[in-house]
Amino acid sequence: MIVMENLRKTYGPIVAVDDFSLEIRRGEVFGLLGPNGAGKTTLVHLAVGLLEPDHGRVEIHGLGPPTDPAVRARIGVAPQALALYEDLTGEENLAFFGNIQGLFGRDLPPRVGWSLDFVGLNDRRRDKVKTYSGGMKRRLNLAVALVHDPEIILLDEPTVGVDPQSRNAIFERIEALRVEGRTIIYTTHYMEEAQRLCDRVGIMDHGRLLAMDSVKGLLAAHGGHSVVVAETAGVEIRLDTDDPLAELTRLQREHELLRFTVESPNLEGVFLNLTGRRLRD
Amino acid sequence: MKQILALAIKDLRLLLRDKAGFFFTFFFPLLIAVFFGTIFSGSGGGDGGISILVVDEDQTEESQAFIQTLTEADELTVRPVARAEAEDMVRRGQAVAYVMITEGFGEARQHVFWGEPPRIELGVDPARRAEAGMLQGILTKYAVQGFQRTFTDRSRMQGSVRDALSAVETAPDMGGEQRHNLRRFLGELDIFLENTPAADPGGEDRGFQGFEPLRIEKKDVVVQRVGPTNSFAVSFPQGMIWGILGCAAAFGISLVTERRRGTLVRLRMAPLSRFQILAGKAGACFLTTVGLSVGLFMIGCLVFGVAPHSYFLLGLAIVSSCLAFVGIMMLLSVLGKTEQSAAGIGWAVLLVMAMLGGGMIPLFIMPAWMRTVSHVSPIKWSMLALEGAIWRQFSLAEMLLPCGILVLVGVVLFAVGVRLFRWSVAG
Repeated sequence: MIVMENLRKTYGPIVAVDDFSLEIRRGEVFGLLGPNGAGKTTLVHLAVGLLEPDHGRVEIHGLGPPTDPAVRARIGVAPQALALYEDLTGEENLAFFGNIQGLFGRDLPPRVGWSLDFVGLNDRRRDKVKTYSGGMKRRLNLAVALVHDPEIILLDEPTVGVDPQSRNAIFERIEALRVEGRTIIYTTHYMEEAQRLCDRVGIMDHGRLLAMDSVKGLLAAHGGHSVVVAETAGVEIRLDTDDPLAELTRLQREHELLRFTVESPNLEGVFLNLTGRRLRD
Repeated sequence: MKQILALAIKDLRLLLRDKAGFFFTFFFPLLIAVFFGTIFSGSGGGDGGISILVVDEDQTEESQAFIQTLTEADELTVRPVARAEAEDMVRRGQAVAYVMITEGFGEARQHVFWGEPPRIELGVDPARRAEAGMLQGILTKYAVQGFQRTFTDRSRMQGSVRDALSAVETAPDMGGEQRHNLRRFLGELDIFLENTPAADPGGEDRGFQGFEPLRIEKKDVVVQRVGPTNSFAVSFPQGMIWGILGCAAAFGISLVTERRRGTLVRLRMAPLSRFQILAGKAGACFLTTVGLSVGLFMIGCLVFGVAPHSYFLLGLAIVSSCLAFVGIMMLLSVLGKTEQSAAGIGWAVLLVMAMLGGGMIPLFIMPAWMRTVSHVSPIKWSMLALEGAIWRQFSLAEMLLPCGILVLVGVVLFAVGVRLFRWSVAG
């Protein structure tokens, strides 16, 4: 379990994270959702020991703070920036980052091979990274985070600037990691990613945690009602409802329905209801 | 330790794959060493002397002999031309100067003891006054040499005195008293030359030694102690210093690049201390600078005949110089926030060091106060250490001062750099 208690981090007059407490369970995919500048990256850097909090504490699996190198070795990070050496090949990047994590000799090649296979880059292993497409670089960025077989994986906006095909490939890989029981912290400002991948989601804005629950729980608590939009002869009817099926049945009885749609609540609506603004404002 | 080595190998691999960086790190210093070595050796495919034009308006045996002397001089390249062409070429900047031997030169050379001296006209390009000054000295030297030859050879001098005696008798523009005095002086001189035995350096009476006003025995102090085998022994230490400077700048900037690209975040996630990560970078810089210095020296040794006075002391000089610049690299890496600012600040600092330390202009032509200021530049100590091991014939004790200063500079600046280093992981 990752425990964060009363975390606070400031940069001069700017409060990036303010009195933030959270527990992330072992083996869960935890999503941090918030607009750019909400403090997500600062929070995850505090969570994995890249930053020291001004106040509060972080503890990883009861072993100590992530600033301890031994604890940090259990964590893999795929930063938002593509942190790769472009003049090295994919294989050389993985071997180097494996080395600095303490993988040498016979232990190294199987992990490098596994990581390349996992992200589907085995056939490009000997090509320099600068020849990769954006999506391939993103996948390699993920592979580097996994090369030393970490228990906790931090994925900071892992699909930024990626085409839909590569995005799907990344989603599949993250789902495979979840099946393996790894703890994943996933930051994004794409609500559909959080909805698809995360067991629980925390919604952040201005450095504060506004709400945290499963996606279902958040939708139920803050998503508002479903909206049924029905079209009868020349008239459009919009109805807020908690039971769209019952409402449609009723409308069918009373009118001749030409067509209808049901708008379900989503995390975008949750964020709008919590902050009064849209996620990508 | 393995991790530090992995960090160093990664940096070396990246350096080797950056073609432009590789060129400026390895080949540029070599070019500097070869270029300056060639210039100062005078073997650059040219003549190695000052090119001058010569106009002979006297057309006598004396003037032709003088031109012949100038033509044979090492310091000069002589081209005979007509007066108009000479003036035109100097005016256009195509020649440093012309030397015009005016009419009457030959006759004046014969009248050593009276009348006007022989004259030549020196037309110079005003933009090249330094070379013109040198040329004036060279011409005076060869003019005096002519007289010296006459006055150190008894038979030639005697002939000259007897010719002068005859000329005194017939000279139309000479007063009675002067004629009388010269007749008497030259007559006595002739008797003196006649009666003085030939030169015998080993004898009790050493005989006629000639009238030599000054004999200059040129002794280069370092040459006396072995000295540089050739000009490349001087230029290769300079090339090595520039190579080390280039490496320090390149590695300093690479640390800023790692910070910007986010790879430092990844390095920081490894179970390594800040010191270990920075030591890896420092190790790569150290290995590269040592490898570069050794490589350059090997080329100097095998191709240009540069031979060290002591391989051990050369190793000591290289290691201490490289340590100093690893420290400088570390400090430079914390001065700039972006690659551009790091490169700008880094090169500005390094170039000032090079200027003060004699990396650009030799220290001996700097004013005294500048030579004092040069003590603050590690380049000065680095040059001294490398030259000490290659051709100044320093002893181990003499090497301790420059090498000690360099190691101290390296350790202190590395510690300061590590202390000021920021990961810059902003949220």
